[in-house]
Amino acid sequence: MSAKEFLKKLSEAHGVSGYEHAIREMVIAEFEPFADEITVTPVGSVIALKRGAGPSTALKMGKVLIEGHMDEIGLMVTDIEQGFLRFTQVGGFDVRVLLSQEVIVHGKQELRGIIGARPPHVLTAAEREKVIPMSDLWIDVGLPEARVRELVQVGDLVTYAREMIELKNNLVAGKSFDDRAAVVCVAEALKSLATMKHAWDVYAVANVQEEVGFAGAITSTFQINPDVAIAIDVSHADQPNASEINAVPLGGGMGIAVGPNIHPLVHEKLTEVAKANEISFKVLAEPGHTGTDAWVMQIAREGIPTGLIDIPLRYMHTSVETISITDVERIGRLLALFCASLDDKFMRQLRGEATEEATRKGTRKGAKVTRKNAKGR
Amino acid sequence: MTTAKKTNHFPLPNSDNPKSNGMHPLKTLTQRITEAYGPSGYEQVVRDLIRDEIKGFADEVRVDALGNLIARKKGSGPTPRKKVMLAAHMDEIGVIITHLDEKGFARFAPIGGVFPLTLYGQRCRFANGVVGVFGREAKDATATEVTLNKLFIDVGATSKDDARVGVGDPAGFWRDFSDLGNRIVSKAMDDRIGCVVLIEVLKQLKKSPHDVYFVFTVQEEVGLRGATTSAYGVQPDLALAVDVTLTGDTPEANTMAVQLGKGPAIKVKDAGMLAHPAVKNLLAETAREAKIPYQFEVLTGGTTDAMAMQTTREGVPAGCLSVPTRYVHTPSEMIDFGDLQNAIKLLVAVLGKPIKLD
Repeated sequence: MSAKEFLKKLSEAHGVSGYEHAIREMVIAEFEPFADEITVTPVGSVIALKRGAGPSTALKMGKVLIEGHMDEIGLMVTDIEQGFLRFTQVGGFDVRVLLSQEVIVHGKQELRGIIGARPPHVLTAAEREKVIPMSDLWIDVGLPEARVRELVQVGDLVTYAREMIELKNNLVAGKSFDDRAAVVCVAEALKSLATMKHAWDVYAVANVQEEVGFAGAITSTFQINPDVAIAIDVSHADQPNASEINAVPLGGGMGIAVGPNIHPLVHEKLTEVAKANEISFKVLAEPGHTGTDAWVMQIAREGIPTGLIDIPLRYMHTSVETISITDVERIGRLLALFCASLDDKFMRQLRGEATEEATRKGTRKGAKVTRKNAKGR
Repeated sequence: MTTAKKTNHFPLPNSDNPKSNGMHPLKTLTQRITEAYGPSGYEQVVRDLIRDEIKGFADEVRVDALGNLIARKKGSGPTPRKKVMLAAHMDEIGVIITHLDEKGFARFAPIGGVFPLTLYGQRCRFANGVVGVFGREAKDATATEVTLNKLFIDVGATSKDDARVGVGDPAGFWRDFSDLGNRIVSKAMDDRIGCVVLIEVLKQLKKSPHDVYFVFTVQEEVGLRGATTSAYGVQPDLALAVDVTLTGDTPEANTMAVQLGKGPAIKVKDAGMLAHPAVKNLLAETAREAKIPYQFEVLTGGTTDAMAMQTTREGVPAGCLSVPTRYVHTPSEMIDFGDLQNAIKLLVAVLGKPIKLD
């Protein structure tokens, strides 16, 4: 499947955090021809392993994890009032644009609905100026109360009903590109790796529950225990009224993050490979919590050297998230090239064995220094 | 391994027949467990009470490095058996003295989520039995503008030396248990009522195909810290927290579909986690089969030990059974006695049969 086709399929499917089963089956089907082994973790993340050729020396097998999260934000029914549904959110919506959205209520059967509120004609001037809070909105499925109560119960999920549309210049708009576009990048990387030689084992992962506290990434990273982990997530693209700082042009490549969440050697390697292959990117400064799976992967077990690639995206957490297919394909290619570039030398660098300074430090005072990964930073 | 000895579940001081004593034995147990002293980090009194209460019912009882009490009841099914972990937290919210002035008035910081509105005129009790009253600075403030730093604790001291408590001493709320008939009210229902559920389930569970770990956790109120380490140690295949949840059934309450007396609440979501759909369904289907009333819970603030258990090691399918509770995190937390009994019944039914999650 092409990147665009796979993205359309994932985007139009429904899989709110904690309820990713439909997406999981699509991901398994897409990864399966390019992987040696596929496992599903106890919380539902998909791990596809593509075995590497192995190290040329006595070093242990290197493991690289590349991931995107497959869950989407959603709404959840909290109460039924005269046949209308009150709701809360799973993850964080752009609440300014909830009103008048078309939705699907996932009850005993799928029900089409719309999000309604009191009309502007009956509001005071002050009320009209304000964003309508979620507590004053409701979902209308058109049925009488008794029938609604038969079909819908508290805790049922609600998602946007939205088809992906194509804009000019290879741009597309739709729901849940955060972060299914990253799952497409990972699939593209797996496809490319089929024609490349790579020494390290590659773990292609689609994680669950990023939007509600990273439960998927915390646990799958523990399971894999990789030597390097790369998260792919979305970041804000350039647009009117946006600050130039940290905004990546849409269609202009990608952001490669740098900051305390990112291991310097991993960042260096990513940019090196991108430059060598004439893949355009912009360095993104992330001074702290990146708000992505990278943040929790970094502190799995004894610590994992982590990198982060950002897909430029406009209108985040709305139903018209907009990205460039060209960017997605480009990131897939960079990921494959990065995985293929990982070798014995890089493993030694990560362990702090290959730099002169580290060697010097290791021999001072004569104490035995045990180096695990990631001491080279 | 200990030998399970059949004893009276609720030995009462004056009677061989608990019913003749007026109060239901389960209420008596609830009174004893809720009135015990145990703010987060200082759960020893509660732990000793529970350990004594469950003596003879588990195959192995141990206390881990953080103070979690872990009781294992061996399953009767073929190996490898599934490990099911139930968690209820022993700790309660409270306060800790940060400063004692010359007159013996104490300033304090909260342990866990303490709402200033609930404190004025209430009492707290320290480990050594000293009782204090929460007073407030009245000058330059209206009664509705209470913040923690405008409150103090008055232990009745005539001077600093007379205070009998000092900086670093923690206290829990002090209120005794009241039996209101269908409803019961006490301090620390959150989450001693979960402890009561676990104690009763352990006693009533005759046989399970699974190895069941009854874990009485510490330090839930300050960041799920006991559940984090105990779940790492137990490595369960399925984890269930038993805790309290809020309700929407009082005058002008926030919109929430949970009510007192409509059965235990099966969690779908709270602010910290989403229950595993298969775990949620397991609880609901078992309740339907056993004709036990239940309700679904979507809680928009707060979370439970299930959040920590879910992300342990490689991940654990996790859920939560909640006892609907009014006035949570006040000294007077109210539950419905029928909800308590049904929560126990439901868990006994769930654990008594083979579990398949998918």
